Amino acid sequence: MRIKKYDFNYSRRVFLEKGLMGAAAAGVLAPLWPEIGRAADITKAYPDELLSIEAYTKGKVKPGDVITADNVDIVKDLLDPIAYQQVKTMGRRINIVETTRDVTKLFPYEYLEATLRNQGQGTIGADGNVWTKGGEPWIGGNPFPEPEDGLQAMANVTLSWGRHNFSMYAIKDWEISPGGDISYAYDFVWAELNTTARADGTIWNGKKDLLRYQSVWFTAPNDTKGSSFLNTWEYDQRKFPALLGYLPAFRRTREFPTNQRFEPLVPGITFFLSDAWSSGDPLLTWGNYKIVERKPMLGAVSNNWTGGRNENWERELHGGPKGQTFHETYMELCPECLVVEAEPTSYPRAPVGKKRVWIDVRNGMFVAYVTYDRRGEIWKSFEPGFSQYVDGDAVFLDNGHPAWSWNYVLCHDFQANRMTRFIQARECTGGYKSGYDDSDDVYNKYLTVQAINRLGAT
Amino acid sequence: MHSIRFRIAHWLIAHRVVTGLVFIGLTVFFAAGLRHVELRTIFSDLLPREHPFVETYKAHPNFGNPLTITVMVKNNKGDIYNATTLDKVWRLTRDIDLAPGVDHDQILSIATEKARYAEATPSGVDMRPLMEDSVPKTPEQIAEFRRRVEMSANARSFLISGDETATLINATFIEARLDYGEVFDYVQGLVERERNAGHDVYMAGQPALTGWVYEYEAQMLTIFAVTLLALIVALVIYMQNVAGVLTPLIASIVCGIWGFGFVGWLNSPIEPLLMIVPLLLVARSFSHCVQFSERYYEIYAHLGDRRKSAEITTGVMMAPSILGIITDAAGIMLIAMAPIPAMERFALFCGFWAMMLIPTGVVLTPLLLSVLPNPRNIDRIIGHGAESGVHTRIKALLSRLSWLTHGRPARYTTAVLAVVFVASLATALQIKIGNPVEGSNLLWEDSEFNTAVAEINRHFPGVNTLEIILEAKDPESPQRTARQAETIATMQALQHAIEQGDAPPRATLSFADYLMEGNRLFSGGHPKWRPLDRDDFSVNAAASAIMLGSSAKAFSHVTDFEQQNATVSLWYKDNRQETVDTALANARAAVDAVGIDHDMFTVRLGTGTIALQQAMNDVVDAYHWRILAFLNLVILVVSWVAYRSLVASVVLLVPVNLSNLILAASMSAMGIGLDINSVMVAAIGVGVGIDYGIYLLSRICEEFDPNAPDFGHTIETALTTTGKAIMFTATIMLIGIAPWYFLSELKFLADMGLLLVLTMLINMVIALIVVPLLVWLIKPGFIARTDLIVGEGVDLSLFTEHGGVTHATPEHAHPDDADRSAVGPEDAGTVATPTT
Repeated sequence: MRIKKYDFNYSRRVFLEKGLMGAAAAGVLAPLWPEIGRAADITKAYPDELLSIEAYTKGKVKPGDVITADNVDIVKDLLDPIAYQQVKTMGRRINIVETTRDVTKLFPYEYLEATLRNQGQGTIGADGNVWTKGGEPWIGGNPFPEPEDGLQAMANVTLSWGRHNFSMYAIKDWEISPGGDISYAYDFVWAELNTTARADGTIWNGKKDLLRYQSVWFTAPNDTKGSSFLNTWEYDQRKFPALLGYLPAFRRTREFPTNQRFEPLVPGITFFLSDAWSSGDPLLTWGNYKIVERKPMLGAVSNNWTGGRNENWERELHGGPKGQTFHETYMELCPECLVVEAEPTSYPRAPVGKKRVWIDVRNGMFVAYVTYDRRGEIWKSFEPGFSQYVDGDAVFLDNGHPAWSWNYVLCHDFQANRMTRFIQARECTGGYKSGYDDSDDVYNKYLTVQAINRLGAT
Repeated sequence: MHSIRFRIAHWLIAHRVVTGLVFIGLTVFFAAGLRHVELRTIFSDLLPREHPFVETYKAHPNFGNPLTITVMVKNNKGDIYNATTLDKVWRLTRDIDLAPGVDHDQILSIATEKARYAEATPSGVDMRPLMEDSVPKTPEQIAEFRRRVEMSANARSFLISGDETATLINATFIEARLDYGEVFDYVQGLVERERNAGHDVYMAGQPALTGWVYEYEAQMLTIFAVTLLALIVALVIYMQNVAGVLTPLIASIVCGIWGFGFVGWLNSPIEPLLMIVPLLLVARSFSHCVQFSERYYEIYAHLGDRRKSAEITTGVMMAPSILGIITDAAGIMLIAMAPIPAMERFALFCGFWAMMLIPTGVVLTPLLLSVLPNPRNIDRIIGHGAESGVHTRIKALLSRLSWLTHGRPARYTTAVLAVVFVASLATALQIKIGNPVEGSNLLWEDSEFNTAVAEINRHFPGVNTLEIILEAKDPESPQRTARQAETIATMQALQHAIEQGDAPPRATLSFADYLMEGNRLFSGGHPKWRPLDRDDFSVNAAASAIMLGSSAKAFSHVTDFEQQNATVSLWYKDNRQETVDTALANARAAVDAVGIDHDMFTVRLGTGTIALQQAMNDVVDAYHWRILAFLNLVILVVSWVAYRSLVASVVLLVPVNLSNLILAASMSAMGIGLDINSVMVAAIGVGVGIDYGIYLLSRICEEFDPNAPDFGHTIETALTTTGKAIMFTATIMLIGIAPWYFLSELKFLADMGLLLVLTMLINMVIALIVVPLLVWLIKPGFIARTDLIVGEGVDLSLFTEHGGVTHATPEHAHPDDADRSAVGPEDAGTVATPTT
């Protein structure tokens, strides 16, 4: 049993002081990352009130409880504004689970290793990009485990989205209308291959001027099947990625304007390329990064993998006018999150005014993301659910270790009241399966112009 | 004296405290409902229910761009290809994205990324925005921009005018977030900011129209206040005493609280465009109260007892007042026959208000008079003092008028009226249905909005659209009906048939047009690839091609978000009835040719401004005469009850119908068509007009002496007494209504004001001439009856000292009293009941 040495508002004051100071190390009672490096345990870094939702809410909410419209006001300050409205007015519910103290459950094994291994190596160069102290492209893991500013915090998210050198996600997607009906449903595959910023410290195929290849191809329904996109990201985050689309029926590729980042890929989907991973655009095409706050948050960072209950990792639904607007989600009290804001400074025609991202300091990954229009009114949220791939006895392995990845996304266009919800499934139409193994020439299979042409043809 | 009316009157005055408490209780109850009162124009409620076009519109409200604001920038000194104009367009485009409630995905102009051109490349297609990330400034940049525009067929058709001097910015709003007033203020601010000597900037679209209407409705409240003040001033001038002013004021305020509170409790929004009618009701309330007060003072002058005078006044006035009010209310309530939700709500609101004139006018007024201090100028009020010059002149005028209605001149008057009738009939039959205005009939033709619409129509396909809907039978069809070959082929067939027909539209557009363009581009760019293969695979391929990397909202003007329902849009040069008739005839022929029922969809005609205008006209055409017929029936029954004679009904109905005919003829001569305004005005006019007849006819009954029948004298007396009161009533109402015509920037209200003024005047003149004329010509037997509820007299001598009841105050005793009381109970001191 720990002795409570601090009054209830102690952490609030600490966060406030850190906010005033600007840069500050994560952790309230002790610096976080030394603790993680020593024992991968955050217990000594935070007081009880930040490690236990029960303590934080003075017993009103505890693990196992469900947040509904009746009790959401107790945790209103722990939710992004759209999630709060979803619970308050749209019938969403959120299951509460224990706070994860063992940070190995918040990373892919290799990525955490790389983060710890490369600690202190990351630096922002004169050109604004992330380099090692030796001037090389980033070598894996979070370059800034203890970010000093908003740019560094977002660099942790941007450089390796999925935190694997290669990820292939079999995705099932549903578009929900304001009336609660399914307007569109898609199956598609999302593949991303980092050429730099790889957890294994290598540069893939000598492509040090690139950050990643990333492709999307639709496998269902039939009217969209075969439509595919290929995004090629430069390492220089000031440059716009090249974007190609492929139309199987015409056997032609279409070049999109590189700065067309605020459009959906296919009709019905609410999120833009810009919204993906809260960092869908190159880091330096946005600007005015700043940490505006530090605070605890509820985040879906554990217990969200359903592999033990559903063979295809699908999820139960609830809420909205027809009871199918929201996924069943599990959230825990994240003891300390950075609230980062940024503006789309390189997009003179952007409809977005700013984005606000809540980043869990334990793993540097975002737990909530909201965009505001240029009037400053809330527009969209992009809420991810992450988890170690362990569900009861079921475990999904990644290179011998329990896998860690995202499980679901709820992207809510709050203004138009349209919802995109999708999951990372075991398998989607076309037989594509989720996985993180890049040993099988994934580049030529999925990430070239010829590949997307071929994928479209099949 | 012991009729039910007098027993009720006796009870009410004997229990003044209880009656007063009931009034206070009811007023408090209705006042509590005032907080729910909402003045709001619901535009869809102005459309008739159950009309097939309106049903189509309501089933597919997204077609026809009802939530889109269109801003046109026009360079007065050249084309748009210069840095200044393009800079304006860029600025407007960016700033309109800051408008409250705008859908950021649905802003389209030549400065947005959504306006694109395409070039075929060796491996496919390169689609790029017409304008890059900044405004073209150098001649080279502007030339490149122009080159791109030339490669974009859609931009040339729908974003840049044919003469290249104007361009459009379209912004669509999210309905649930749209505050029309706020958006209007914001966008109008931008428009005014960007206007200068070289550039005109116009704003159109339904949200803009709504904004203008809201803007003028705020102004309308000022007119309402000014008019109300004018009425009060008229009242003060006429009465010149506290009780005489306070009584109508309090009674009218109570009635108003009841009327507004009633709809407040019903949570039924009040249509501000019809607020002129409540004002008419206030005027009616004033005139009822004034007449009631005058009669009260007349009786009080005899009796000198406030309570007894109030009782007698109530008993005497009850029947004619109630009858008059019932005809007013019937006119208003029968408007609900027209199946238009706004009219139904209006009929309920104003009909209830009108009916509440009965308790407030017949019960509350005498209560107030019995408790308020007596004025010092009673003699002058009841006409026993010296008459002023105006009164003398009016009397002389009415006397001359009466000369026309009896004796030898009556023949000539009859002949003249017969000619008027025939001429009016001939002219009225020429009247057109509808008042088409380029833009909106709610506003003046030269209003800023209608000017904007006219200018946009001049430069672009415009805003007069007819939409033919292809409605999916299964709105959740996994095949997505709008993407099927048969659907697309039907769109093309419709467009082809209509474009090849007589008087083709200026432009047509459907989802098929986008698919053909997509097919051409993705097939290499040659025009020969525009036609689509007629199979689902090809159509789907083209649909996928154009929608790749786009929001479905970008096509919401041609197909819905789910790509199930679609529309074929036809743009016409104007909305004159001839154009509307031809457009609908051609569309019907085309729909018949392609067939209504298909495997996956049904073809529905139609929606858009052309169809909705026709729907309104159809309702006006169908219900105008129907409402009047029912009103005639109601009046027939009411007057039969009042006079126990069908001849009396004829005597009353002839003038109101003649008045209506003259009104229709006047409208026709002035080029005003029949519309929903005229339907309302006709019904209200008949309701009010019949009052005049009832008052005058009743007075004739009063004045007629069967023992010494002299119709000429009777008519003259009636006209110079009650005729004067009718003129006062009409004047009070004209004061309430006439300012609207001159002050309102809402044409709808001004038109209604003008028509109401016309109908009041016509009804007044015709009632004053035709009723006595008919009595003279027919010489009906009912006027000699003494048992009519509207003609019952009261023998005041029964209440005086001689009669053993009370004393008249000496200062109010009339010099004629002695003579009148000497005549005996049947004649002396009787108070004529007809009132106005």
